[in-house]
Amino acid sequence: MNRRTRIGPAEVRALANCAELPLAPGREQLIAETLDAWVAEANALSRKMSAAEHLELVPATVFTHPEALDGE
Amino acid sequence: MASDEMMRNHRQLCALTLAEAARLVKTREVSPVELVDACLARIEAVNGRLSAFISVFEREARQVAEAAEIMTRAGHDLGPLHGIPVALKDNVAVRGMLTTAGSKVLADWVPDRDATVAARLRQAGAILIGKTNMHEFAWGGTSDNPHYGTVRNPWNTDRFPAGSSGGSGAAVAARACYGAIGTDTGGSVRLPSAINGIVGIRPTYGRVSNHGIIPLAWSMDTAGPMTRTVEDCALMFGVIAGHDPKDPTTARHSTADYAAGLGEEIRGLRIGIVPGYFFHHLQPAVHEAVQRALDTLVSLGAHLVEVDIANIHGNISAQLTIEAAEPSAYHQRWLRERPEDYGDDVRSLLEIGELLFATHYIQAQRYRSLLRNEFIEAFRRVDIFVCPTLPFTATRVGEMKVVIENGVEEDMLSAIMQFTGVPSLTGLPSLNVPCGFDSDGLPIGMQLIGRPFDEATLFRAGAAYQGATDFHLQEPDL
Repeated sequence: MNRRTRIGPAEVRALANCAELPLAPGREQLIAETLDAWVAEANALSRKMSAAEHLELVPATVFTHPEALDGE
Repeated sequence: MASDEMMRNHRQLCALTLAEAARLVKTREVSPVELVDACLARIEAVNGRLSAFISVFEREARQVAEAAEIMTRAGHDLGPLHGIPVALKDNVAVRGMLTTAGSKVLADWVPDRDATVAARLRQAGAILIGKTNMHEFAWGGTSDNPHYGTVRNPWNTDRFPAGSSGGSGAAVAARACYGAIGTDTGGSVRLPSAINGIVGIRPTYGRVSNHGIIPLAWSMDTAGPMTRTVEDCALMFGVIAGHDPKDPTTARHSTADYAAGLGEEIRGLRIGIVPGYFFHHLQPAVHEAVQRALDTLVSLGAHLVEVDIANIHGNISAQLTIEAAEPSAYHQRWLRERPEDYGDDVRSLLEIGELLFATHYIQAQRYRSLLRNEFIEAFRRVDIFVCPTLPFTATRVGEMKVVIENGVEEDMLSAIMQFTGVPSLTGLPSLNVPCGFDSDGLPIGMQLIGRPFDEATLFRAGAAYQGATDFHLQEPDL
């Protein structure tokens, strides 16, 4: 497994620039720790959902054709 | 009438449940004007301490009450909520009235049409008495609002009311209205219901229209009633539930008479518990109260079934990813044009949501399918699940850390959605029912989780529990 780069203020600044999200000075320090923690947990969930046993699972947000009547 | 006598009468009127008040209006023993006057007096008496309301519709409510009284005297009945004052969380559009979503960004927004929920309440005869305070844009769980004041818990005003529907929770608990509408994405009806000692339901996703409600996370948003009793909740729910052509996420699945089964026994009801998760990591008072509640349900004839939900762990990360990414998409323009108009906590969450990866979001949505499949499978063996609504009782206002076990401080946002995230992710309905108090007199709630579109069973079980207990009858000493 690759070692994950911790998300610090520099990484937040770079990501925000890529997203064209202007961050006021100092905000990258405010959000870096939380973002880093959330990304770590999200990566863990991504590894879990990438397991072979889950390959057939579709996201919960797919079209379910509501225009079709129930039962048809 | 002497002032003291008037106040006693107002308090007596405010102490009525919604169902009681509705019956008395129909029999003409109580006038809608009296009910509105009582609620307005109560709001004036308590709102300075609670900050539960952003707007109060004093003139409009009195006008409608007078009209409702005339109609009653003429033998006309608008519906199950005829003449009953109710409140709406301030992210629910009301035609011609300020709807701020607890924000500075929408501080001047006056919608030109009602949200469907508001329209249905009016059509059932309800009188809209005001808009309740909330966590800004519903993106938070404390209702500590930098623009409209910090909402406070009527049981102890040093404590928080939870959120994001904290104003609705406080208003109902303080007897300032007979019911209120909240919205629930990750727990925002259920959490303030538990923390304020009242009943609140998160419906099946798609059971109640979100049309005209400022969104937080489209794939998890719902709206539901918050009331003092299960009966009241069922009455309000029956009015607002059902397909709405204006909201494509609403289901055509038929609604039910949710109040019809309220007196039925629950003998044979199969209650699922997930021992490795639902009774893990709780404050002792919460554990004891919910365990006693289960004992009460068993004494009424239900029986417990232990269920293993293999993939229940990991739900908090999925919850946070989805609940962060979707609002960030909605707020993209405002966050760039006027970021300083957001409270700092919401601004930070919106910025974080912009920086999560697409694959994180998709994997979280796939996880939802996995978790839902496991619960649907489990519903072959059980009728409802029961667990605590949250693992702790009301913390002090302003605290963003909480101690649950062993003196360890934890982040409030993750801790608070430990149990409410499960129905949010799976789309299942869930009902908070008050089930006790801690040693400081702070309320504790339990969460009943049901099958899709089976709110009726939740109401039946909750009503049976309230028939055997009196926690819902307790009133804060304000």
